[in-house]
This record gives sequence, C-alpha cells and structure tokens, in this order.
Amino acid sequence: MNTDIWIYIETENGKALNVGYELINAARPIAAQKNSKIVALVVGKNILKAAQDAIGYGADSAIILDADVYASYSTDAYAEAITYLINKYDPETMMFGATTNGRDMAPRIACRVSTGLTADCTDIGIDEASGCVRWTRPTFGGNLMADIICPERRPQMGTVRPGVFRKAEFDPSRKGNIVDETANIHIDPEHIRTKLLEHVDVVAEAVNLEDADVIVAGGRGIGSVDNIHLLEELAEVTGGTVACSRPVAEAGWMNHNRQVGQSGKTVSPSVYFAIGISGAVQHTAGMQGSGTIIAINSDPEAPIFDIADYGIVGDLNAIVPALTKKLKERKM
Amino acid sequence: MESYNTLNQEIIDELRAVSDHVLVGSAINPDYAKDEMPIYGTHMPDLVVQAYSTQEVSDVMKVCYKHSIPVTARGAGTGLAGGAVPIFGGVILDISPMNHVLGYDLENFVVNVEAGVLLKDLQDDCITKGLMYPPDPGMKYACLGGNVATNAGGMRAVKYGTTRDYVRAMTVVLANGEITHFGATVSKTSSGYSLLNLMIGSEGTLGIITELTLKIIPAPKATASIIVPFKDLKTALSAVPKFKMAHLDPQAIEFMETDIVDMTERFIGRSVFPKQCNGEDIHSYLLITLDGSSDEDLDEQIDQFSKVCFDNQAMEVFIAETPSQISNAWAARSAFYEAITDEIKMLDECDVVIPVNKIAEFIPFVNEIGAELGLDITCYGHAGDGNIHIYQCSNTMSPEEFEECNNKFFDVIYAKAVEYGGEVSGEHGIGNAKMKYLEESIGKTNVDLMEGIKRVFDPKMILNPGKVCHRL
Amino acid sequence: MNICVCIKQVPDTNRIKIDPVTNTLVRKGVPSIINPFDTYAVEMAAKLKEECGGKVVVISMGPAQASKALRVCLSVGADEAYLISDRAFGGSDTLATGYILAGAIKKIEELEELKFDLIFCGKQAIDGDTAQVGPQIAEQLGLAQATYALDVSCTNDHAIVKREVDGGYDTVLVQTPAVVTVVHTDQMPRYATYSTRCEAKKKQVHVLSSAELSELDLAQCGLSGSPTRVVNTYTPSVQKLGIMIEGSSTTELVDKLVGILDDKRLL
Repeated sequence: MNTDIWIYIETENGKALNVGYELINAARPIAAQKNSKIVALVVGKNILKAAQDAIGYGADSAIILDADVYASYSTDAYAEAITYLINKYDPETMMFGATTNGRDMAPRIACRVSTGLTADCTDIGIDEASGCVRWTRPTFGGNLMADIICPERRPQMGTVRPGVFRKAEFDPSRKGNIVDETANIHIDPEHIRTKLLEHVDVVAEAVNLEDADVIVAGGRGIGSVDNIHLLEELAEVTGGTVACSRPVAEAGWMNHNRQVGQSGKTVSPSVYFAIGISGAVQHTAGMQGSGTIIAINSDPEAPIFDIADYGIVGDLNAIVPALTKKLKERKM
Repeated sequence: MESYNTLNQEIIDELRAVSDHVLVGSAINPDYAKDEMPIYGTHMPDLVVQAYSTQEVSDVMKVCYKHSIPVTARGAGTGLAGGAVPIFGGVILDISPMNHVLGYDLENFVVNVEAGVLLKDLQDDCITKGLMYPPDPGMKYACLGGNVATNAGGMRAVKYGTTRDYVRAMTVVLANGEITHFGATVSKTSSGYSLLNLMIGSEGTLGIITELTLKIIPAPKATASIIVPFKDLKTALSAVPKFKMAHLDPQAIEFMETDIVDMTERFIGRSVFPKQCNGEDIHSYLLITLDGSSDEDLDEQIDQFSKVCFDNQAMEVFIAETPSQISNAWAARSAFYEAITDEIKMLDECDVVIPVNKIAEFIPFVNEIGAELGLDITCYGHAGDGNIHIYQCSNTMSPEEFEECNNKFFDVIYAKAVEYGGEVSGEHGIGNAKMKYLEESIGKTNVDLMEGIKRVFDPKMILNPGKVCHRL
Repeated sequence: MNICVCIKQVPDTNRIKIDPVTNTLVRKGVPSIINPFDTYAVEMAAKLKEECGGKVVVISMGPAQASKALRVCLSVGADEAYLISDRAFGGSDTLATGYILAGAIKKIEELEELKFDLIFCGKQAIDGDTAQVGPQIAEQLGLAQATYALDVSCTNDHAIVKREVDGGYDTVLVQTPAVVTVVHTDQMPRYATYSTRCEAKKKQVHVLSSAELSELDLAQCGLSGSPTRVVNTYTPSVQKLGIMIEGSSTTELVDKLVGILDDKRLL
C-alpha cells in the first residue's frame, strides 16, 4: 500500500499560495517517522514552476494538472480530477490548506472517496496508539481542542490553517520527479455546474476588529495623534489592525470604531499588542480573550501586565519602531 | 465650614506605612479626576490608595481621620453625577481591587462579595449557577459598592426592584476607621433604625462599603424580548399601565423614539429595530422583556401581552426569541448613551423619576421646553417605573450659551417633575451635580435632617465632602 | 422556488467558559441556540420565498429538544419543519451526518410531493466548526454547490450566488438544484410577529426516525458510519504567562520579543 503523503498546492494565476509549501514542511516530521514520501499535487494553469518550487520546499516529487479547465477554480472540475488521482495512486494521507477553496472542495472529495476529513487543523502529529495521523483542531469557538484520527478509511484527510506552519528554507538543489497527469483526465465541460461571472475586490473600509487575527492597540501612553503612525507601521508589518483604548478615541486621535473595550468592541485576536495601555478593566473587558497579549508600557505597575503573556517595561517610542524594523527585516 | 488639612510628607509616609498601594503625583492616572460625567466637574486627588482589604481601608481611614484629610471612595468611576470626584482633593480610596466573590449561601439565597466586584462579573457568575442577581443598571462594568452607594436602578427595576431591595448586609468602614456591619441575612427585620438602608444611596458620605451580602434568586427558565412599535410616543406610553392592570409583570419596559434608535444604529453600524410596519412609519417603540417559569408559561404571557398591545393601538408585536436577537435588541438599547455622547458635543442629562401615569404628558412638556430654549432633546427610559433619561443636546451652542439654557431647563423640568409627585433622581444619584435640585424638591427641613445624620456618622465631615446633602 | 434549510441547535459558544479548577467546559447556564449561520440561511430562504414564491422546509438532525429550534424557524419564514432523530444517528461525524441528511431530504421531497431547487446550510456550526456537512450533502445528492454565500437570486434553472472570498467577493452562476452554504445576509434575520407565531403554533414538527428513513443503511450512520474518531479533547491553556522580557537595551528587548514571536509561531 502506498504510504505517500500528498500535499495539495493551491495556485492562483500560476502562482502557488504559501499554505501548500507550509504544509509540505509540516508533513516532514510525519514522513520521516513513517518513512513516507511527500508528493505535491499542483493544480492550475502554467503551474510547472510552482511544482518545481514545491520540490525545493521539501516535496519528494510532484504531480501536476495543468490545463485551461483548471485555470480558475471550480468545485466540479477540481473534485473530479483529484478524485481520479486519489483512486489511481491511493495515497495514505492528504492535506489541503484550509482556504476558501480548500474548504470548498476537500469535503466533497472526502465524501466521494468515502473517507474521513478533519477540518481547519491547527496542529498535526502522529497518534501513538494507532500510528495514524493525529489532527488537532479547535471546536466550540476555540474553547475546546480536539485530537482526531481516521483509523480505517484512506486517505486520511485534513485541511490545515494557513499560517500555522512555516515553510522550509528553499533548497534549489533538491531534485524530484514531476509527473504530468493532465492528459489522463478529461473533464467533460457539461460536468462543471458553476461559472464565475465576476470577481470584485473590496477595499475594506469598515474597520473589522472582531475578525482580526492580530491587533495593534494604542492607549493614552502613545501621547499624541502624531504617534499613531507607530501603531500603523507595526500593524502593517504584522498584518494587523490598529485599535485603541477609550482615552485615545475620546481625545480624537482615532475614530471610535477602533475602540476596544467595554464601551467599544470586544475582540479575540490571536495576538494583541497593548501599547501604552494601562489595562483598566473597562479596556481589558474587551480583549482579555485574546490568544497572546503583548504589553509595552513605561509603568511597571500598569495592570495590563497582570493579564499579559509577555511584557516589556520601556519607552514605546523606542521599542515599537525597533520592533517594526526588526520584523520587516525578517520578512525579507 | 469644615477645614481640611492638605497632605504633607509625614502623612504620606503614615499612609505608606499602612498600605503598599499608594500613588502620588504623576503616578496618579488622570481618570481619577473624573467620573462618566466630566461636565459636572473634575478635580485630581492628591493621593490614591488602591485598597485590597477591609483592614487596609480601615487603617487608611484612621490616618486620614486623625489628620482631617478628605477621603473620596471610588469603584470603577462610572458614576453620572460627579459623586466620585474629589472636589477637595485629598485621598481617593479605590476599592476596585477588592474584586472577589466570597461565596454563595444557597440555603439563604445570598451571595457574599467584596465591594469591588463588577456587576457584570456577578451577573455572569450567577447565570452559570442557574441564579440571577436581578438589579441590572445600564453600566455593567460598575462596582457593586458603587451600585449600592447610589441605589442603582436599571431596566429590570420595574419587575424586580432596585439595588436596595437586594442588599441584605454590608461591612462598612466608618470615618474614624472603625469597622462595623449593618444588616443581616434575613428577609425581614424590625430591630432598631435601619442603618443598612441609610447607607444605601448615601454615595460615600456616611461610610465606605467594603463587603456586601446580596440577595439572589433562581434564574428564570425562559425569557423573550418583545419590540412593540407605535405611531407616536404618547400612544406607546399610554399602553404601559395597561400591562400591570392585565396582571402582566414584564421584567423590563423601555420606551424610545426613532431619533435615538437611528442615532444608535449609526453608532453600532447595524440595523436592529424595524422602521416600518405594514407600510407605515414607526415613530416610537416599547422594548420589553418577559420572563417565565417555563416555556409554556412564557408562551402564555406572550399571548396575553400581545393582546394588550393590540388593544392599545400597537402597530405590531415583534418577538425576539433567539438569544442573538434578544441580545442585539438590548445591546442597542444599552448603547443609547454612548451613541449620544459620540454624536453630540454639548450634553447634559436629567434622570427624573415621576409616577408612571404621568409620563405620557411629561415628555411632550419636556420637548416643548427644550424647543423654547433651543436645545435638542432626546428622551428614553424605563417606562415601567417612570424613570426617564432626558438628554439636553446641542451641537451648535457655545459652552456658555449651553450652560445658561441647560440651567434654565433643569429648573423648569425638575420643578415640573416635583409638581407631578416625582423626584429629582431615579437612579444616578445626587453627587455634586444635583444638590441644588435636591433641596428645591425635598425642602430645607429634609436636607437639614440628612446633613445632621451625616454629622453623626462623620463628625469631621471628611467623607466625600460637598456631596449629596453636605452644603458648603 | 422550493428551499430546504438545514439547521442545527448548538450551545452558545460565545457564552461558554472554562472552569479554571477542573479545566473543563462549563455548559450549565449556556443556552441552546440555533446556529447563527443557520439563522441567516433561514432568513435568506424566507426572503427568496417572498420574491419567488414556493415553499421553505426546515430540517434538523438532533435530539428531541432540537424541535424547539425548528419551531422558532416556523415563525420566521419556514412553512414546514422536520426533526431527524434516532439513537442510531447519534455520534455521527460529518460524513455520516451528510449521508443521513441527504437521505432525509430525499424522503421529504417524497412526503411533500415537491423537488427542492435549493438546499441551504449555514456555513459552519459553531460547535463543530467544520463547514463540511453542506458540501457533503451536495456530494451525496449529486448536486452543484456554492459555499460562503452572501446573497442568492434565482431563475428557473440556475441561481446567482454572491460568494465571500479572500479580499472581496465572486459572483457565480450555479445550476440548480444546488446546495448553498450561507455566511450572512445583508439584513438581520427577521423577528417573529405575534401572528406568525400563532400560525407556527398550529403546525407540527414532523419527526423522521430510522423507521421512516428506511432507505438509510444504518451501517453508514452514527459511530459505525463515521470514519473519524475523537481520541482526546482538552481545553487550551488560558493561563496568562506573565513573562516580563528583560534587557538592558531596546535592541536586546526587541530581539528577545521577536525571538519569542518566531518560536511560538505567533505571527
């Protein structure tokens, strides 16, 4: 039986989304322990380079489907093609990025091949007792974590959250076979029952704090409206949204729709930077559910440090720009 | 006239000797200078003690009493009448660190709490145990000590009563530092003067509350919220007394008009209340919560309730049944105040309470007077118990102009409320802001009695001086 | 335009807290609600019915108390309600659930003597959070699907669906019959009125058990029909770490913080 681990590499306009490469790296420890090979499955149009890169990011080989019919995602074409390949090759495990499209097609495919799919995982490993992949995911809105296995049916399938794992260092010297299966699958256009009429990009005008994954919040300690840019720059490099505590909104330095707290919004991002915020209960009421709270304040007695995971006592005017700079450097 | 001393290094050192949590100078957060209504005045304290225990409060009071230092008790600082503002400077005793729920006594249906426990935390904790602490003042992040000190009311008062009805006992630190206890875990008593009831609503002028024993009840099994639209406010308000007459006992009855609903929906960015009904425009709403001992009981109440509404010209009866619809409707109601303060530059508030059957004529009068003075008036409030929140607003007047018109407005409105048999403050308290109107409404004799009582409790008059009945 | 809406009664996970002593979920006092995404699905169906006519049938797989949730739907736009309930269905993962619901939908088409043009599901249930059942119902029934819908409009043989995607939205044409999973609607779900409630009370929630759904293969239901298995559950650590980062210079402090951010994969 095939012990391969397949990683679906989602592409858009010929370019791979990072999540596919992240999952290749995530699968490495499992592949090592189980002596399995990692196969990248790349679907799209003009995606040969993406497949070559997949090998550079750690895949042992790749299978590609490269045709007009895959240029734009459709449930029917992708589900049909991928099911054909699963039936042909019989992989042991298959992972998708839990993107919009990933979560659209994975359940469909899992149902078609009658196997178990675990959604939106935040960690993977091996279940000691059964030797199967152990999929870890949040349930009950994140209040309860569950470890799940698929003991009998194959492939074991899971969708994994983008950004949980880091992709490996690119190694241009890695070599691997790339198999082109495109010619072996003929998708009957009649089978494709959806058609994309229009795509509209929306510039988010409304401030959406509730869905933000990272929030950079400033309090009275930022001193003046002239320092807001410190928060904005940190937000940009972290992919975060800028927010504030009530005194800042009251002073007019930021719009009240960015206010977090009892008389503002309640948020629960994965990371909350509390910058120059004292930590009065009216504010913490709105953010104490955050995953990791990082506080920067010049007052060592500030109550914010009681609820922070990491705290720095210091001058935010020095620390925040330095932090932003360092994070920018790492990104490049 | 009392004379107070100012702090010097010696006194500060004495305070430091009895408390580890003393703040002076620039370490004092500017928020300590004000409460939620800075328009009534702000003043920084000279020193803040963040107290963690009754003993600490007692030790601090001993020092302050010895040296005649004014002391202002403070919880979360959410008051609306300037009650927690230290207008004489001196010491602020911040009891918000005393925030532990000490324990439930389910045989006597009470809970013991430190005075710094937030209302919301107690309410939430009760729900997890199938219990309810009924008083539901609008500000959920207020300390229970402050709630008791102002006899806070809230939306559930029409059915469940006010904070006063739920205080069984308390631990109080007196002006000289002595620790004493008022009340007992009993439901009726005729054992001497009720010092407990004197303390409730005394706004930090008679003693400092550090612990409370509060009555709790089993949580209702089922609740529903109802939005009843009317063509105008008068019709809406006229329906209110009919509910009680039909033996219906809603948990809350709030009235509002479309102006505040629109403002709030702009503020929260969401449309919550229907604007039209059967093709007609809605101008006024009653927002009601019914609770029942079972789904069937609640069903029955909704039926009866709806009949009374339709008999009294309701345009429709909308029933919010899913928890998210209920919480959205009430979240919108709770956001009224924030919405106003967000949009309006010059603002003051009048929380008169008048007999329920007079509201329907009072509000048009209020609007008329407002219009004459050039003020925009927004009213909403607790239709079920006659406690109205009137907001005098202006985005165009200068501060001086506003103050003048505002004072004239207060004079007329409070006088009218008293004429109708009402009182000056339904739930926010007198603090600093409403003292003049207190004397006008209850008379010199009564205010003299109040001040006399204060002198007994606080001979040096150091507790929250200049507030409620302490005329300077 | 006949629409079937699948709903689920779930605990209100926004109100669930963790007992700090036992580290388990505190469910007491947490109300059961209709899955919020499903309330939007019902609203979308009700709105379409107003525009195009037809019938809205709401169904739910769950224990007896799920009828309460179905009843509420009857007063906000649903015409008929079916509870799919049987011990044999308990413990189903998404694959088994999709199988059962698909079978139920086929049975209801028989009983109601109609064909559904659209089947709506909420995007995901806030307890399971998988977002898998909708697409799996579609697969079982062999229908097209459109996920993450914000708006749906209809004609005879297709639907136009506005789908939420990263960075914006897509407008997609879907051949009907189709399954649509709903994120939310522009307007809030409507309130019941006294008269819709009275009408709803006259109706019965029909119960379909394995007896009525005789075509279902019980081996594909419940635990035996579920390829996935939960081996462990635990509450994520909520203890605040309270770690103060020490350093003698800004550079040192920042380096340490960035090190932690990397290590813990926080960003």
